[in-house]
Amino acid sequence: MRQWFRIAFPKNYLDRRKRAGFLFVLPALLFFGSVFILPLAQSIMYSFYKIAPGGAKEFVGLRLYEKVLTDSTFWTAVGNTVQLLLFSVPTTVILALAVALGLNRITSLKWRNLWASMYFLPFATSLVAAALIWQWIYDPIYGFLNYALSFVGIPPQKWLQSLAQVRPAIAAVSVWVRIGFDTMIFLAALQSIPEEYYEAANIDGASAIQRLRYITLPLLNSQIIMVCILELIFNFKIFDQVYATTQGGPAGASQTIIGLLYDTAFKFFRFGDASVMAVFVFVTLMLVTLLQWRLFRKPVEY
Amino acid sequence: MNTIARSIKSAPRETRAIRRVHVRWLIMLAVACGAIVVFFPFLWMAVTSLKTAPEIQRVPLQIAPDHWLNLSNYVEVFKREPFMRYLLNSAIVASIAAVSSVVVSSLAGFGFAKYQFPGRDVLFLAVVGILMVPFQSVVVPLYVWMNDLGLLDTYAGIVAPDLVSVFGVFLMRNAIETIPNDYIDAARIDGASELRIFFLVILPSVKPAIATLLIIKFMWSWNEFFWPMVVISSPLMKVVTMGLMSFTNMYFIEYNLLTAAAVISILPILLIFITLQRWVVQAVVMSGLKG
Repeated sequence: MRQWFRIAFPKNYLDRRKRAGFLFVLPALLFFGSVFILPLAQSIMYSFYKIAPGGAKEFVGLRLYEKVLTDSTFWTAVGNTVQLLLFSVPTTVILALAVALGLNRITSLKWRNLWASMYFLPFATSLVAAALIWQWIYDPIYGFLNYALSFVGIPPQKWLQSLAQVRPAIAAVSVWVRIGFDTMIFLAALQSIPEEYYEAANIDGASAIQRLRYITLPLLNSQIIMVCILELIFNFKIFDQVYATTQGGPAGASQTIIGLLYDTAFKFFRFGDASVMAVFVFVTLMLVTLLQWRLFRKPVEY
Repeated sequence: MNTIARSIKSAPRETRAIRRVHVRWLIMLAVACGAIVVFFPFLWMAVTSLKTAPEIQRVPLQIAPDHWLNLSNYVEVFKREPFMRYLLNSAIVASIAAVSSVVVSSLAGFGFAKYQFPGRDVLFLAVVGILMVPFQSVVVPLYVWMNDLGLLDTYAGIVAPDLVSVFGVFLMRNAIETIPNDYIDAARIDGASELRIFFLVILPSVKPAIATLLIIKFMWSWNEFFWPMVVISSPLMKVVTMGLMSFTNMYFIEYNLLTAAAVISILPILLIFITLQRWVVQAVVMSGLKG
């Protein structure tokens, strides 16, 4: 406390310098405090109150939690979100790893950069535009995908309009958008692996698969975990792709948690219910992040 | 005898070398095919945007447009919707977000990297901890605030939560940390104030990081959808991602128009992205390696 007082009213040069440092970080702190910390506290508070459209609040304890957490639409949305990420996270990570390994083997820098930037391009696109382009490709009658599949004898599918296919179809959009991002991370990590490891393995007569299994993958371990977690978080918060195309349909088959939160808060203006969902999302993602920190403590050392 | 023995001995080695070349070509081919598949939706979008409404409804599907220079969809996009205004709105919001982010983040990065004030490390950890708070969890109170402050449907309202990002503070701190303390001390001996040091010593030495942050932040804000959907209600304040959605609010989506609008919305960001890709990749790798 005394220390802080001295810095607030500095008498000597060093204290004045410390004050300058604190003043430099102050705008950012104020911003994060008012845009994240305070609203988060408010979200938690809202989840205990019933808020009438006029603004009158009534403390209801855990009643809103009881209401939301026993509501089947909520759990359907959670289930849909989990299904979506079970489709997209492993696919994205495995494909990105394969692409990065392939790119890493291309010796011509020019070609490698060309192919890499093609994979990276969707990352620059807005999720809305990406989803709408894919919706056109998925179109059951005039879409390109059914046209292409007709050559291998597959009859037209309904994709986004089908109860069973809508989730994999939307997951594919997420894979398309994210693959380049993950590839870049893997590629950078691959290029930081010293060539000597592979040379030593070659002298010992290791096969390509052995080199992958015993050198590359263990050294990429921390990147793989990190990318998995990043994808998990990204896909858990999925909203844009769904809202731009199916808006949760058909018959709620693609309604996600954030989609439900958005509808609850800004279509039906039930802020209390939406806040319960907000707290749910926060707690879930916090657990995921803490898990990441635990897993990160075990890097591979050679 | 000797030569035969040698040729027998060397044969497997040669085939192995040949196989290795083959494998290299196969990998190249696989990577290239994948890249083309990933690129295809862009191509399809561009091709569709050149077709007329009857053309896109042809069965069986026809790949090429009848006229490769048919730009009528692009004209129609601007006629049907105030699309220029949407582009302008997005540009304004993204520019403000990018610039403010650079200013606040580099100040904070400087403070965190080069000063010893009590509680510095705890505060930095707290800032990084913000990464754990998903924006969607704070959106309801933020909406209420914006409503109370009368900022719904304004540029200030759209840009408010986007002004600084944790990523930016992180990026700038790491960049500024690499500047030798001697430079700063030398400036102090010359009598420069701390703020002057920031402008004359720090900022010029972290230009690459500033460029990176500018681009990434501009891109993120340009592509933002969730928050604008919450704060914006009047048609003229829509940003470009919402503008795209106005071509889907019909019974039959006119994909020829929609794809033209999508091309227009993607093009500015894609051009920036392609010309400055080196910086973007650097930022991605950095966010990747640091988590």
